[in-house]
Amino acid sequence: MFSDKAYKHAEACRFCWMCRHLCPVGLKTGKEVNTPRAKGLLISMEKRGFAFDRDTAQVMYECCLCGSCTNDCATGYEPPLFIREARTQIMVEGLAPKAVDGVVDKLAATGNMYGETAGKFSRLSDALAGLPGKAPVALYIGDVAAYRAPQMAKALISLLKKARVDFTVIKDEANAGTDLGDLMGFTQEAQEQGKKCAAQLNASGAETIVVLDPYNAVTFKHEYPQWGCALKAQVVTATAFVAQLLKEGKLVPQAKAAEVTYHDSARLARDLDEHQPARDILAACGVKLDEMFLNKRMAKCCGSSIFKAYAPELALLTAQGRWEDAQRTAAGIMTVACPESYEVLAAAIPQGWELTDVFSLLDARC
Amino acid sequence: MTMDILVLLKQVPVSTDIRMDENHNLIREGAALEMNIADASALELGLRLGTVTALSMGRPGCHAMLRDALARGADRGVLVTDPALGGADALATARALAAAVGALARPYDLILCGRRAIDGETGQVGPELAALLGLPVITNVSALALQGNALTLTRSVEAGIETLAAPLPCLVTLQEYTYPLRLPGILGLRRAKALPIEVLTAAQLDLPPQQLGLRGSPTRVKSVSTQAAGLRQTCWAPSVEAGCAHLRALWEVTP
Repeated sequence: MFSDKAYKHAEACRFCWMCRHLCPVGLKTGKEVNTPRAKGLLISMEKRGFAFDRDTAQVMYECCLCGSCTNDCATGYEPPLFIREARTQIMVEGLAPKAVDGVVDKLAATGNMYGETAGKFSRLSDALAGLPGKAPVALYIGDVAAYRAPQMAKALISLLKKARVDFTVIKDEANAGTDLGDLMGFTQEAQEQGKKCAAQLNASGAETIVVLDPYNAVTFKHEYPQWGCALKAQVVTATAFVAQLLKEGKLVPQAKAAEVTYHDSARLARDLDEHQPARDILAACGVKLDEMFLNKRMAKCCGSSIFKAYAPELALLTAQGRWEDAQRTAAGIMTVACPESYEVLAAAIPQGWELTDVFSLLDARC
Repeated sequence: MTMDILVLLKQVPVSTDIRMDENHNLIREGAALEMNIADASALELGLRLGTVTALSMGRPGCHAMLRDALARGADRGVLVTDPALGGADALATARALAAAVGALARPYDLILCGRRAIDGETGQVGPELAALLGLPVITNVSALALQGNALTLTRSVEAGIETLAAPLPCLVTLQEYTYPLRLPGILGLRRAKALPIEVLTAAQLDLPPQQLGLRGSPTRVKSVSTQAAGLRQTCWAPSVEAGCAHLRALWEVTP
């Protein structure tokens, strides 16, 4: 049961196939089914009576929902819109790939996509010691940073402390609902999870929520108002917040030369249209930025954590694809601002290259 | 008390897709369609208050919207559809809906609908339906609470808001965005697939043909134009003098 809007977007395709030049999955697999055009055709066929089967379902999950395909589409075609709805349809029909069902089960059992049973902040206990219970600023760390990129969370916490920000981290931070939204589309299940998280954040009394994971920031800013659970506090990405601290002179780094490239997170660069703050942080670090060919709004996605959770082989390919872009620059260091990018890229670091994040880079200079 | 609620839903073109032909009729072909936004508030309120029958009048394609309502929690979906109903204005629509309520033969405690549809913008169908059914009507409602066997309602009026009490049964028209509609869940979508959409045709409405569709519609749209008066006339003035000149010009043209 697709919405009229989804059908309209699927049928808007003029078959020009330019999206194949941009899709991070299709570029690596070389399969036509791994292009947004093919997914649109499948949905168009569904409208004409073709029933989804397990193969179709598999195809709909071979996508990181990065929105790269929307960049060069002359018709304003938005594949992520109908791919999400296709995933809902697949869940309704019980056709989801086993690996996807497995991740949904882990989310249901433990509240995180990894099935981690250890406390969410068990890797961050030292960094969090001594923080107040309530403060005007609340930091939302997210599952990915907490479990797979704790050094990013630690560096950000250290920076906030050095800048003397009155902040807290909410105990037992709830999952934002982003993962369910990507796995099964925007359904009541994702909305209910979002409502739990929003209630917790609203009860914190914080005036500003600083969000480390851009995937969660998009959910807070774009989806929560649609889900009827808008946050009372102002939502700011961690990159924008830290860049502002630098601008206000609350962080004074000691410049140290290095040559780096920067990978824009798809959701930060496209969905939130935020490119500059991370580059401002890098400039303040005194490093030379060597841009990759596809950057800012055109950035090629490296994969996402939820994509890696159910399709690790494909996520490895998309990560390798982004590393190939990096290797065309003269830099020897890839920097990221998104914990999901860090997790995915960390699995494919080429020899002679280093992967770090903008917060760790800055923290080492403050 | 579990209330038995009838919610009226209209499928409208997505606002960015709305176009008109030379006779000032909406062109629905090629436009993406969705549930009217104020009706979505009515549906959500109905789902919170009791068991819901979702009723719509429109083309056979309205099935999809009614199935969506079922997926979100409605218990029954009914579509009034027939070529004889085409071109109905607000009055002819209200007549057909009143006849459909009669055909459903169920003593609803409450009828909810949006205060207006974004395509026609008349805001008349709800009140006209209430008049035809002999029910009290409360329009432009932004909040509703059930207290005993009566309702307490907050509605918008020119000068602000007012709070009213109303008996049951009655008809209430809701403002847009007052009750954000829940998303359908996977189980709800599975359930909705199995539920039938009941269809009522013109023959089942038991109305004389001259009261149906275009024939039964006294409204004629003679012209449609964009009004300049009343539009915001603000501008950024680079200097006090330029600002004064702008105000003088406005003073001369404003009635």
